Amino acid sequence: MSVFMDLNLSFTAERSRLRSLIETAAHLGFSTVAINYVHEPTTKKKQEVPTPTPINELIDQLPIVQGRSRPIRVLNRLTVVMSESSYFRPADPAYRSFDLLAISPATEKLFHAACMSYDIDIICVPVTEKLPFTLKRAPVNGAVDRGVVFEVSYSAAIRDSTMRRYTIANANSLMESCKGKGVILSSAAEKALELRGPYDLTNLGLLFGLSDKDAKEAVSSTCRSVLLHAESRRTANGIIYTTKSCSDSSCQQEAPDSELCDAPAAKRLRPPPRVTDS
Amino acid sequence: MVRLKARYLLCEINVSDRNHLLRLTDTSISAAVKTTVARIHGDYGRALCSIGFSVKYLNAHTGTVFLRFPKRCYKLLWSALPFITSIETHGQTIPCFLNCVHVGGTIRTCQKFLIRYNTQQLRRMLPKCKNEEEKQQIRKAILNCSLTQGNKEAYDDELESEEDEEE
Repeated sequence: MSVFMDLNLSFTAERSRLRSLIETAAHLGFSTVAINYVHEPTTKKKQEVPTPTPINELIDQLPIVQGRSRPIRVLNRLTVVMSESSYFRPADPAYRSFDLLAISPATEKLFHAACMSYDIDIICVPVTEKLPFTLKRAPVNGAVDRGVVFEVSYSAAIRDSTMRRYTIANANSLMESCKGKGVILSSAAEKALELRGPYDLTNLGLLFGLSDKDAKEAVSSTCRSVLLHAESRRTANGIIYTTKSCSDSSCQQEAPDSELCDAPAAKRLRPPPRVTDS
Repeated sequence: MVRLKARYLLCEINVSDRNHLLRLTDTSISAAVKTTVARIHGDYGRALCSIGFSVKYLNAHTGTVFLRFPKRCYKLLWSALPFITSIETHGQTIPCFLNCVHVGGTIRTCQKFLIRYNTQQLRRMLPKCKNEEEKQQIRKAILNCSLTQGNKEAYDDELESEEDEEE
């Protein structure tokens, strides 16, 4: 049984909708989800980067994942829709409160820069329109070597038939350039009815041009490597990780803070899981 | 040895409102799958669906359905299932989605898996019980689960009553 993750759940202001989204994801078997805050800066007015609401405000009791004994893990993620390179400011302290950073580039130059040099985890492939530029092998392979993954989201395909064509076309052209490595599949779900189970997603990956093995990896191990990449990006050289300690502990399993350890993130000791049983 | 091989997909239908589940029928689900396959894979998919595809078992209380596909094209037809967004019965449209839980070669293996899956669901419901009597009922149902005694209907009813009480 591998770990399945869905790293793109759209943030809605309605608590009940978000809660039903998370509960459905736990019922389907996803052990980690990430709530996505989309930030679209324009030149007209300066917009503030949205701050994520802490998880314990959103939902008090995290549901247990189907088939496991741990509760579901909820992370925060920021997607910056970029049309100019000045919009992405990695030194901005507002970016620190997010666990995952993603970029949705609009031009070829930005795409190249995002693949090769920007300090991010995920690059979103556009699914709602025809690809504005061709995906060349050089930046795509450079991104895969660095650990940055490409994301294809599928809920637009479920909603509308023209979107379906764009999604499948863009996903297939991505697979041609990247040969199936470094891809994650995620929903950009706004309602609980737009989520799909992990085995259905594996099968959907076949439509997008992935092989059987790559499609399964796209939902499980590549997502996990994105999380580890994000964790090591937030630490200084992947060794020290400091966090403000809060008085009431949250349900999530956070990595131990302020510990100097020379083991990589995967091998660090985790606190023992809290088993909720009657 | 010549043998007609098939794949049986065990799917769970998720709806937002549990009362709508009871209205589902196997003809409506079969029609929904066929129209979706026609939408996604066109005439080729629809033709593949006409022979060999059927709905073998439907449990309206828990939303479990067995779909039978021929072995050589089950992956293609399976890839159209995530695009089902609603099912039409008796003139009503119920928004839902299908979640495939298991693929088996025979109905018997799917049934074995379904029993294990349902016991797991009962165990998940145990901490959510509100009073001791419900807990006793669930514990009795879990102990009763087995293939040979044919108790599947018994604990399916338990599931339905427990799920209604937990709302």
